[in-house]
Amino acid sequence: MVISTDLIGGVLGFLFTILILSYLIGDNPLFRIAVYLFVGVASGYVATVVFWQVIIPRLWLPTLEAVQTLSLARGIYMLFPWLGILFIFMKVSPGMSGAARITMAFLVGAGAAVTLVGALTGTLLPQIGAAINFFDPRLAAARNISTLEVMGNGLILMLGTVTSLAYFHFGARPKADGSIRRFGLIELIALVGRIFIGITLGAIFAGVYASALTALIERISSLVDFVTNLFGLFGIL
Amino acid sequence: MRVLTAVIAIAFGFLVLLGYFFPQAAIFQIILLDWAVILAGFAALVGLLNLMIVHFDKIRRRETGSVYSALLILSLIITFLAGLLLKPQHPIMRDVILNGIIIPVEAALMGLLTVTLLYAAIRLLRKRADVMGIFFILTAAIIFLGSATLPLGDVPVIGTLIRPWVSQIWALGGARGILIGVALGTLTTGLRVLSGMDRPYGGK
Repeated sequence: MVISTDLIGGVLGFLFTILILSYLIGDNPLFRIAVYLFVGVASGYVATVVFWQVIIPRLWLPTLEAVQTLSLARGIYMLFPWLGILFIFMKVSPGMSGAARITMAFLVGAGAAVTLVGALTGTLLPQIGAAINFFDPRLAAARNISTLEVMGNGLILMLGTVTSLAYFHFGARPKADGSIRRFGLIELIALVGRIFIGITLGAIFAGVYASALTALIERISSLVDFVTNLFGLFGIL
Repeated sequence: MRVLTAVIAIAFGFLVLLGYFFPQAAIFQIILLDWAVILAGFAALVGLLNLMIVHFDKIRRRETGSVYSALLILSLIITFLAGLLLKPQHPIMRDVILNGIIIPVEAALMGLLTVTLLYAAIRLLRKRADVMGIFFILTAAIIFLGSATLPLGDVPVIGTLIRPWVSQIWALGGARGILIGVALGTLTTGLRVLSGMDRPYGGK
């Protein structure tokens, strides 16, 4: 009898789902076993993905090519990552562990630049653009919405955006009685911001809860399906 | 070393940044990002090695729960060796590791959130019944009621008018404020790193 990988996957999925859902009766060793195994397996899987999709095609093969073709330019190009790796390994030696900071500095500098541009072009500018576009009467007409409705909703949106931002303004000055409080107007605007943030978090909570409920239903349904198929396999049902 | 690391971070950071704004500098940006991807991948492998060392230490010191650490190390090594031999796209890796363990566990953990989120919401009402808490619960209730699939269709008014208005206008306003705040924070942190004021790679 040939056991298919599908069947092994199904059995493992069934067992792991039971082990994880056992947390509903409280923290227990079965749940912990499942979680530790999951962390191990997921880490091992990530390591293989990194190895086959980053290390081999971007580091090993180009280096091999540079060595085989004796290409000086290619060799110099590949020298830098190998140096960076060498610096990371120097962390093992207590006397030379500082060298690893060179690689980290390079990664942090490049990462900061990518993050900065990502925040600017991926979030800040599109969000500001969307806030402005909401007041555009031509776009409203294209969506068949009245100008009054657009203005009313646009004002609520703008109020929500500005007051939510003001809520995160924590600049404060000491008062005569020694207490440290925010400026009165900011405090008032922040109060409105709290309402908007409460509404936003409530909507996010409802969305996440609906997703979690869907996942739970899918898992329970997979358990039922597995048992039904198993009984069907042995001719019980 | 402090000055050298700061110079490296600032110089390479600006070179990557220049590539976004000047096409002439894009070649440097591509080279630097290629190196960064290799080094980040290798750093991830070193991080996993460190995870194993930490758990080996737990086993060596016979700490409580070292059995779990042994399971973690064993599962990590077996998966890594299997992945090295078969590659991640192999049917065994896909059906057994991905569809048999990783996805079911992630979905089951997500399913557990239904209980923990409900418990957290009840605790919020009991411990912090302020303006934000009240609006939080009210909004969640409106969206739940409005999204509920009932035998007779949508809940009148709530499902057709109030829920879309709350989620698409009121909640969007707050979300936009939070998103712009996060983006401004990220921008400031990036600028602080690029100007050398913050040095998370070490050195004051």
